[in-house]
Amino acid sequence: MFLTLKTATGRGMIFLLAALMLTAIAACSTDDDDSGAGSSSGSFDDEDVIADYADEVIVPTYQWLADEAANLLDAVDALDADTTDGNLATAQQAWRDTRLPWEQSEGFLFGPVDSFGYDPALDSWPVNKTDLDAVLADSDDLTVDYVRNLGEGLQGFHTVEYLLFGAANDKDAADFTARELQYLTSSTTVLAEIAANLATSWTEGIDDSAPYRDTFATAGQDGNTAYPSYSSAAQEIVLAMVGICDEVANGKIADPYDAGDVTLVESQFSFNSLTDFKSNITSIQNGYMGDVAGAGTSGKGMNEWVASVDSDLDDTIQTQIQAAIDALDEIAEPFRDSITDPDQAANIEAAQEAINTLANTLQDELVPLIQE
Amino acid sequence: MSKSVYFLLSILILAASAAGIACDAELEGETDGELERPLAGGETTTFDRSSSAFTNPAANLTEKNLEHHFLGDVRFENQFVSAPATVNPGLGPVFNNTSCLNCHTENGRGMPAVGNRPGKSQALVRVSLPADRGDPELPGGPVPVPGVGTQIQDQAIYGVAAEAVVEIDWVEYGGSYGDGTAYTLREPVVTLTPSDGGSFDPEMMTSLRIPPPVHGLGLLEALDEETILAAADPDDADGDGISGRPNYVYDVQSARTVMGRFGLKANQPNLLQQAAGAYRDDMGVGNPLFPDEDEEGYDIDFETLEATAFYTQTLGVPARVDWADVTVRRGERLFEAIGCASCHTPTMTTGDHEIAELSRQTIHAYTDLLLHDMGPGLADGRPDFEATGSEWRTAPLWGLGLAHTVLPLSGLLHDGRAGSIEEAILWHGGEADGSREAFRTMSASDREALLAFLRSL
Repeated sequence: MFLTLKTATGRGMIFLLAALMLTAIAACSTDDDDSGAGSSSGSFDDEDVIADYADEVIVPTYQWLADEAANLLDAVDALDADTTDGNLATAQQAWRDTRLPWEQSEGFLFGPVDSFGYDPALDSWPVNKTDLDAVLADSDDLTVDYVRNLGEGLQGFHTVEYLLFGAANDKDAADFTARELQYLTSSTTVLAEIAANLATSWTEGIDDSAPYRDTFATAGQDGNTAYPSYSSAAQEIVLAMVGICDEVANGKIADPYDAGDVTLVESQFSFNSLTDFKSNITSIQNGYMGDVAGAGTSGKGMNEWVASVDSDLDDTIQTQIQAAIDALDEIAEPFRDSITDPDQAANIEAAQEAINTLANTLQDELVPLIQE
Repeated sequence: MSKSVYFLLSILILAASAAGIACDAELEGETDGELERPLAGGETTTFDRSSSAFTNPAANLTEKNLEHHFLGDVRFENQFVSAPATVNPGLGPVFNNTSCLNCHTENGRGMPAVGNRPGKSQALVRVSLPADRGDPELPGGPVPVPGVGTQIQDQAIYGVAAEAVVEIDWVEYGGSYGDGTAYTLREPVVTLTPSDGGSFDPEMMTSLRIPPPVHGLGLLEALDEETILAAADPDDADGDGISGRPNYVYDVQSARTVMGRFGLKANQPNLLQQAAGAYRDDMGVGNPLFPDEDEEGYDIDFETLEATAFYTQTLGVPARVDWADVTVRRGERLFEAIGCASCHTPTMTTGDHEIAELSRQTIHAYTDLLLHDMGPGLADGRPDFEATGSEWRTAPLWGLGLAHTVLPLSGLLHDGRAGSIEEAILWHGGEADGSREAFRTMSASDREALLAFLRSL
């Protein structure tokens, strides 16, 4: 009946069966004219955790991202006005500062970031270097509108990164051509716009869509077709965490490491890859604990609900999150060199294992507790 | 686990069963219901009601096939760029999008929007000329439009003009349920402006499409032809007003005409050809089945194509929720009573498939894979192989309740015109006239029960 029983703990089994029984009984007490269709079925029952996930974790992280992206644009404008090594260093640091909240948002890659295509627009990889070189070699006016209409492989973090850092973190102010500066300014403008829209899509809504904060935080209420139960929103939270673990361990790290191929390393121009990866796991930590230190917010985390149901599991999850971050810390920067360095192999594989261990705990032990 | 825990569990199970029987007794004497959770995709079924619900591998994959699936997963996500490039070259020169996933967001239905992303470019426009205006691209298929082909590519790599600018406007219609409750439906009006400043052939037929969901397709591929044909009634011999016939389409690999199953008019015979067509037409990525015109060699090799197809074959199907709820169960009976289940077949069993995990599975796809005349309201007027301009393949309904979880602004029906399940039902016509009228005129509580059932899928 429940395949999840295979992996559930005894406690989990009781929960699932109790949930089944409650569902059946609730069904019987439902009047035929009642429009409710078991909207609160599932064993996760804490609406505050869901509301705080939206209000204290997701929205503040996106707001932080929008603020940093605006700072990045200011720094790029300053570099354009006065192309000195000092202004370049400031702009490069601003890029790293913007990268931080973005990577700390990848533990919740659901909602508008996904459905409106903001993720590929901000973070497409690889950069379409053939077209970028062609655009730079051409004579079209590189206005903001012009760059906005180019493909996703010609915009976003990694295009800006390539222009700011060069192919191997070796760019000097003297290297910039006028057209590179123009492209940099326009593409950073688009990046800042998208970051702002991402925050707005949660707080106010974009075009005709409702604020996604409302969609998510009203999970389980009548008429919510996106999240018809508390459980569906809790599954969204936890499965997105599992998803980013998988992406970091088995994609971002494994793809270049297994192939020994430097060209597959994300954020390779700035040597920022490992910081990216750690921020991804920090994103899980933020979400699980309900706090975003970088944004100065704090709410009721998933940890409180888990602790109330299974305090051992809560301890395990908290320990494994930190262990994954610590394991990433052991790998030497830059990651693009470490993937082919025999001395780093053990560190890389240990980090993958730590992240996969966390993913398995979340998938096999936490998901069954919150599932319908 | 201790004995007392087992004892407690058995009490709980008994209590749940007893509760279920009591419910059945209330259902106007119908007592044949089962409380066991229906497994939508048989042993492939997964348990995820989040936005990733359509992205999970089939639950029963062997370790080897799971590895192959994940290889295909990467292919499905790969962003193509202009050649030459070290990673994923071969985009365009004209295209609709740069990766499979960009249109099939979270493997679900797309949004009825076009243009440059973010937030756009999921819908596309198929085009063709009347049969007497030229030779089809494939035997029996649509006649391509010179210089365009059978699809408008509204994006292009740098330095190349896209084929056209596509715009969608919406026209609204008001209507009312039998009890007087008002509703509004909307229909898209597509405007195509050729990039070269010219004009399109006045006889050119167009059909706006959104990407359909991807999950569970391997199970549909695994259905025996006899199983599908058993439900066909092309001449409506049983006189129930519902005919239903398969499309017959050209299979490029075997170079013969076979039954069509995939695509909104069932114009593709299998998932390998479906993927190959999408690579070339949607992304401009030439491949061994459909090479790029005027380009030597292929942008992707057969192995890549096969891995992508394998990914779509081996996605699991999410299990239902609220299956034991009394309102949901009443809705399920209404679904059958008013004829929905005549085409949206609730239960079928797959035959043998080369991927053993797909073989002999009892599935609840809610489709018969047959073409039905859906009336003038939904007609696109563009035939595709044997499908007429008013015929569409019955859409599978498994996972329907997750449509807005997976993508909140996704649309239902071929062009995404329906923003909700009730709108989609109200658009049904032709062979579904009777069922739609039954829905439109039923009581509000019956409508809600029917919708509660559909949301539980």
